[in-house]
Amino acid sequence: MKYSIIYLLSVLLITCAYAQKKEFTLSGVIMGADGKALSNVSIVIATIGHSSKSDHAGKFSIAGLPQGKHVVVLSHVGYIPEERTIMMESTPIDLGAIVMQKTNYAIKQVDVLGEIYATTPAGALNKELVDQQYIHRHLGGSLMQTLSRLPGISNIGIGSGQSKPLIRGLGFNRVVVVEKGVKHEGQQWGADHGLEIDQFATGNIEVIKGAASFLYGSDAIGGVIDIKPEPLSEKESLTGSLNFIGKSNNSLYGTSANIQGRTERWVYGGRVSYQRYGDYRIPTDTVHVYDYPVLLHKRKVRNTAGKELNFHVNGGYTTENFQSVFYLSNNSAQSGFFANAHGLEPRRVDTELHDASSRDMQMPYQQVNHFKAINRSSLKIGFHRIEMEAGFQHNFRQEYSQYVNHGYMPPVYPDNMKMPSTLEREYDKKVYSLNLRDRFSVGQHTFVAGINGEYQHNRIGGWSFLIPGFNQRSAGAFLYDRYRLSEKASLHGALRYDYSHIETIEYTDWFPSVVSEVNGVTETAYLARANDLQRTFNSLVWSFGATYDEGDFSMKANVGKSFRVPIAKELAANGVNYHYFSYELGDPALPPEQSYQFDAGLSYSKGKLSLELNPFYNYFSNYIYLNPTPRHDHFYGAGNQIFEYTQSRVLRYGGEIKIGYRFSEVLSTELLAEYVKAEQLSGSKKGYPLPFSPPASFLANMSWEPSTGFLEDSYFAVDLRLVAPQNEIVPPEKKTPGYKLVSVQAGHSLMVYGRPIQINLQVQNLFNTRYLNHTSFYRLIEMPEAGRNIVLSLSVPFDFTNKRKS
Amino acid sequence: MMEKAKNRYMKRIKKLTLFMLLGAFSFSSCEKDNDETTVDNDAPVIDLSGDAFPVQCSTLKRGETFTFKTKFSDNVELGTYSIDIHHNFDHHSHSTEFEECDLQPKKDPVKPFLFIKSYDIPSGQKTYEAVQQIEVPADIDPGDYHFMVSVSDHVGWNTIKGLSISIVE
Repeated sequence: MKYSIIYLLSVLLITCAYAQKKEFTLSGVIMGADGKALSNVSIVIATIGHSSKSDHAGKFSIAGLPQGKHVVVLSHVGYIPEERTIMMESTPIDLGAIVMQKTNYAIKQVDVLGEIYATTPAGALNKELVDQQYIHRHLGGSLMQTLSRLPGISNIGIGSGQSKPLIRGLGFNRVVVVEKGVKHEGQQWGADHGLEIDQFATGNIEVIKGAASFLYGSDAIGGVIDIKPEPLSEKESLTGSLNFIGKSNNSLYGTSANIQGRTERWVYGGRVSYQRYGDYRIPTDTVHVYDYPVLLHKRKVRNTAGKELNFHVNGGYTTENFQSVFYLSNNSAQSGFFANAHGLEPRRVDTELHDASSRDMQMPYQQVNHFKAINRSSLKIGFHRIEMEAGFQHNFRQEYSQYVNHGYMPPVYPDNMKMPSTLEREYDKKVYSLNLRDRFSVGQHTFVAGINGEYQHNRIGGWSFLIPGFNQRSAGAFLYDRYRLSEKASLHGALRYDYSHIETIEYTDWFPSVVSEVNGVTETAYLARANDLQRTFNSLVWSFGATYDEGDFSMKANVGKSFRVPIAKELAANGVNYHYFSYELGDPALPPEQSYQFDAGLSYSKGKLSLELNPFYNYFSNYIYLNPTPRHDHFYGAGNQIFEYTQSRVLRYGGEIKIGYRFSEVLSTELLAEYVKAEQLSGSKKGYPLPFSPPASFLANMSWEPSTGFLEDSYFAVDLRLVAPQNEIVPPEKKTPGYKLVSVQAGHSLMVYGRPIQINLQVQNLFNTRYLNHTSFYRLIEMPEAGRNIVLSLSVPFDFTNKRKS
Repeated sequence: MMEKAKNRYMKRIKKLTLFMLLGAFSFSSCEKDNDETTVDNDAPVIDLSGDAFPVQCSTLKRGETFTFKTKFSDNVELGTYSIDIHHNFDHHSHSTEFEECDLQPKKDPVKPFLFIKSYDIPSGQKTYEAVQQIEVPADIDPGDYHFMVSVSDHVGWNTIKGLSISIVE
């Protein structure tokens, strides 16, 4: 194992020392079909992995190309990628004007020519790419709700503002969220914790559907959501934007303002976002928590209001060959939980207090602050592109709830306790990360070699106990190679080695529990819930794939092994989750989760029609999950049912279909379908699916984008979503009936004083349909999803560049 | 000419593969419910009718022993059950039942009754009548209590009933 790291590093070093031969320049101008210059188009010399971007005038110039045949790939979100083959002989080449055509479907994709180098080298895996425009059109309560329109993506949500991603039914610690190149670390393991990301402050988002452990290490076993930073400004510019958003369902109002500028080489920018919302409405006035009917005041889900305030500052230095940008951000949010049930536990509510205002947050509520400092740097030396991301994150989460003595806790909260009686849980996490990569080419090979390292420091607080504090360090090294067999076919291979070490911190209850009862004599003790466990994990994973493009037709296939290191909760949980009536027990002997996955992609795009098919087949030799047992425990578990972490063999398969058809220049349709099936092949739940399996769903979209007249620069779209019932469940889930949902989107770009003001209007759940979402946190207490929601957003751009010049 | 024919041939092959894959894909999507017969998706049932005790709004006497009696049933096999009696002097939560009971005013606990116990059910049972003698000590606080009954089946399906009861002098 050690030798492979040394080998990777030496390859990295040796190839850095390669000298260059004769070099030439390639240039050109890129424009759209309307003759307007296209800026920020990615230009990649596919043969050697060299990349650049077009400037604001659409111009680009790439120096230092060696003699010989090269394939140039131009790509831009929303446009059909262009490919040119050039012959570099003894003079510079000017390609002149290159016209790019818009793609004919609403969801932008780049995977036709998947290996675009400025983006993730995901090889032959399936990717979806969304841009800010897509986010504005489909804006949901949180970023993951917005993304869940994509085929194969769903979310686990709680309330109207929190959710976390599910990719093909895998979520929690099985999906990596990367922001600005650094893995986002929050409390991924908990269903009631959302993702601390500002929807307004994202650039393009790449979603990798499939196991990408070879690139991102542990946790990327289900997929990756890679959130790029907002693109850097053009030279000598100072621009800004002001966004407003309002939502009818939870009376949300929000605003986000940013300013960003650049001199020749210095870039800087900042953003402030604020959102505040009230309790959300559902299409019913009574919710049944078990058999107990809970009356809702004005059909509002009591105490689900919240607020969010985010700051971002960035600054850096950029030249043709070197770039280094610092990003600082702070995301703070507070949101209430449904007051009539804390978890699954029914709660009595002071309705007078709670219903006085739909915008206040009473207990129970959560408060989270996420601070991030990231540096992203890259350096081009010859044909090497060396990239680095270094980050520090501090996630601080608190859950507040009235003290209730559960189990053996004392009936009255003792005065001598250090933490307040309302602080139920606290998680304090500090994470240091470092990524280093070198992209370079040798002959027909394009390599990416890299190392990642991370150190986590986790501490806990509050009067209840779920997971112990822990420290974790991990390091990995990988080598990715793309070998071009011909202009049409490429092979992709990757190898990765990881090391990880975790130590959990001892935790003893602050109250005594009954530990034995013999002949009426009870004995009590302060129970040790967690020991100082130490575990070390080593993993070797690989991936191999091929891509083939033949004109309008392209196909790809990939097979790979992925892994995931067990988390602290899976290894060391030993506590009662009173709100779920469960006593959760970890297994300190669990090995890393291992999975083998086959992915394929077929796409065909010609004229008005585009088709895409992405099936997958996945086998877990040991899937780790929380298994409800038939047993109850009255000592350590305070009378609750025992849920224990266990592993089983699991088979998963499914896929997505996308069909796009353009009836005319202005009218188009899109059909998306997703399906995933999971089955446990061993253990006590043999024959059962995995928890949180999303039901099959189908989405039909019709879009009208008039290109002339009064309605120029407008769009009107209707989405019809059909969701199948989910009858494949595992304890403690419930069968969820299917449903139909209709939503509409419209928008217009209005010119006011020469500035395009973008207005987007959306009506989600148009018919106020009452339905249950199988993957929603509140599904188990039969809470329907949000009713009709009208979302209005406004975006006003500013350009201070000219003013400053004059 | 040769070139053209070849192209046409290629196209036909492409179309064919595409449709075959599409077909295979949609076919695999359809055969989904074939395993459902083998797994148990039904939770056990707690039957509080007949001579079950306690039920919602029942009253227990301090210093006396009462008989807990409840019928459990499951479509395949019952697992284990547990009983938890804890005070609700602060009205922190309500029961899982429809019927509301008259609650006494909120008060601070001094020595509230706490009873937590789990019990096995003989293996292989589809129905089982649980009977337990439970003693309510004489020195505990009277007032509003919750009586929680939790029963599981052999695969971990679980049913909970939370009853509001009161303990009197």
